[in-house]
Amino acid sequence: MQINFAGREIGLKLVYYGPALSGKTSNLRSLHQLTSERSRGRLMTLETKDDRTLFFDMLPLTLRAEGEERASGGPPGMTLRIKIFTVPGQVLHSSTRRLVLQGADGVAFIADSQISETEHNAASFLDLRNNLKELGLAIKGLPLVIQFNKRDLDHVRSDAEIDALASRGREPVFKASAVRGDGVIETFFGLLHLAWTQLDREHQLAKMLGIRQEALLPMAARQLGLSKDVSVLLSSCVGGRLERRPQVSS
Amino acid sequence: MSAAPPDVRLQDVILDARIRLEDLVDPQGLNELCKTFVALFGIPVRIYSIDGSLLVDSASENELCAYVNASADGRSACAAVVGGAKSREPGEAGDISHPCFTGAVYRIIALDYDGRRVGRLIIGPFVPSNVSGVPASLLAIHSSIDKARAQDLLDKMPRAKSQTVTRIAGHLKSALDLLLFSGHKAFVTSQMHLASVRESYRELEEKNARLQEAFDRLKELDRLKSSFLATVSHELRTPLTSIIGYSEMLSEGLAGDLKAEQLEFVRTIHEKGGQLLSLIVGLLDLGKLESGTMRMKLQIIGVGSVLREVVSTLTPAARKRGVKLSLDVAPGVADVRADSERLRQVFLNLVENAIKFTPADGEVALSARMAPPTDGASQTEDEGIALLAPTREQVEVHVADTGIGIPVRERIKVFDAFYQVDSSSTREYGGTGLGLSIVKRLVEGHGGTIRIQDNEPRGTVFVVTLPRPEPTMAEAPRVA
Repeated sequence: MQINFAGREIGLKLVYYGPALSGKTSNLRSLHQLTSERSRGRLMTLETKDDRTLFFDMLPLTLRAEGEERASGGPPGMTLRIKIFTVPGQVLHSSTRRLVLQGADGVAFIADSQISETEHNAASFLDLRNNLKELGLAIKGLPLVIQFNKRDLDHVRSDAEIDALASRGREPVFKASAVRGDGVIETFFGLLHLAWTQLDREHQLAKMLGIRQEALLPMAARQLGLSKDVSVLLSSCVGGRLERRPQVSS
Repeated sequence: MSAAPPDVRLQDVILDARIRLEDLVDPQGLNELCKTFVALFGIPVRIYSIDGSLLVDSASENELCAYVNASADGRSACAAVVGGAKSREPGEAGDISHPCFTGAVYRIIALDYDGRRVGRLIIGPFVPSNVSGVPASLLAIHSSIDKARAQDLLDKMPRAKSQTVTRIAGHLKSALDLLLFSGHKAFVTSQMHLASVRESYRELEEKNARLQEAFDRLKELDRLKSSFLATVSHELRTPLTSIIGYSEMLSEGLAGDLKAEQLEFVRTIHEKGGQLLSLIVGLLDLGKLESGTMRMKLQIIGVGSVLREVVSTLTPAARKRGVKLSLDVAPGVADVRADSERLRQVFLNLVENAIKFTPADGEVALSARMAPPTDGASQTEDEGIALLAPTREQVEVHVADTGIGIPVRERIKVFDAFYQVDSSSTREYGGTGLGLSIVKRLVEGHGGTIRIQDNEPRGTVFVVTLPRPEPTMAEAPRVA
């Protein structure tokens, strides 16, 4: 994260990780389509000829957070600049993955639901763990959500299987079909929630900037032009722990 | 080994780079783009960077401005308006109008990229469509301003509706945004590329260091192994020499007559002792060859004489087994630079082997001839091949037998130390499995090669090639 108190800006870096062709770029494309033009920037994709990500894709989202009066007396609020990156999934781009991963405030692991991809999912996760280790980070302390993508395909792991797997893990799990736009916003909000919670804890953002933790996500949803309530978005996750979820509004 | 932290500046580039208009867009190209707008709409365009420096100025002084600027008061009033337009911030909304006393206006429009302000666009002066007469503010500038003349010049100024200018500005802004985005993307890509290459290089360096370490360790182990082998072989040879010597003396009756059975036993001891000794000598040779400490006494020798010597040595053994041994040295076989003793060892070993594996009534044929190089080098690519090809011919010696043959898949392995095609052959034919590995190393020590071919209809051909000595200026015959 980059905090610029003087410029009242916070830069947040979220990374979509996962095996090759699991749908990381599709997630970003859908996010780009589903969010309002006012808050999103251009989707930057650096692709090779065969439609695979060469270095990374990047979607910038810029949100204006109106904060409350602070004890310190400075003006409340700030600009939240979120940059969402995807990593290249192919095995050979390990060094690029590590570069993109550097300084990440949170990771969404995009897994392929197809049963045949089980090994690739696991291998990519180990690669993530390894790369974090090389960067001197522990996966344990990193805000992490898992998305089982491609729910629309045949021969995928069943919902019941995913629920059972998710219930055993620490990470919140979302089911998605990125090409259809299902579960994409939910995954993003799950990750944003975890990342913000952690940063708030580490940097006292509520105190320093007057942004209450519970207020951030609804504000983000509003500015991104989403119709769903944040609590509804977050409640679509299975398993894991989304600490301090906002109360479901009646 | 922990990784060095990857390049930190990349982080700034891809996450929080302050995009500067002037860094990402070619000023000349931007100027040309603006000129096309002026040509299309007739309204001047200026572009300022975020720090206020003028990047593009497609405006030329129109006649009304020139008329006003003719007087000192007019000049100072004009300068105040233009200065104001330059320094005015377009505010939160990003679009404001800045009026001129002539009735014309400037539109000041913010240029944003990636959620941040990167510069300003100033469109104008133009006359809004609702202004028709000469405003009083223009006449008030100086007494010399003639109303009719001013009206005439005002009518010549570009005229536009406010909404039209908004649309023009929107179009120019999106064209600029695309340019910025493309520039930004190229910039990020190049930075990422650089960082990736640096990271890959760092990884390779680490791997190289690890490999070098492992290589050094193996080399040291190899050296220790060779030295151990040499020491042990030497220590083994000393008592063995006594065993051979004393058993020989016994068999020759130096310690009195032996009974037939005793004599047979003692001869067996002597024979096996000899075998053991040659094994140990072989091991020693192998150790020396592997450690590179084998000394070769290289001199120019004829291969034919070495082969003839080998044939004469082994003819009795061949005759004993009923194998025909022949030699054919083609005319013109060049001399080679070799250690004659070691070369003899090579062919003795090969011919001995061939005789051993050839059944009675079979044949072992030795032949030598000149042959083109077989190292696979493309002759057409080599420069000066017309001159060099003849000197690159090499001496090729064939040792062909009509024995049991060697399966194709075994042909590389037979040169490994202690390898025998079929372990049962050790018992049937004897041998240590060291011979061919020594032969190969000796041949290679002479800069040559050894390979195995089929012998039709059955058997094996060992093909040994030995390079011709390179011609040197000193040795080349001079033309008088």
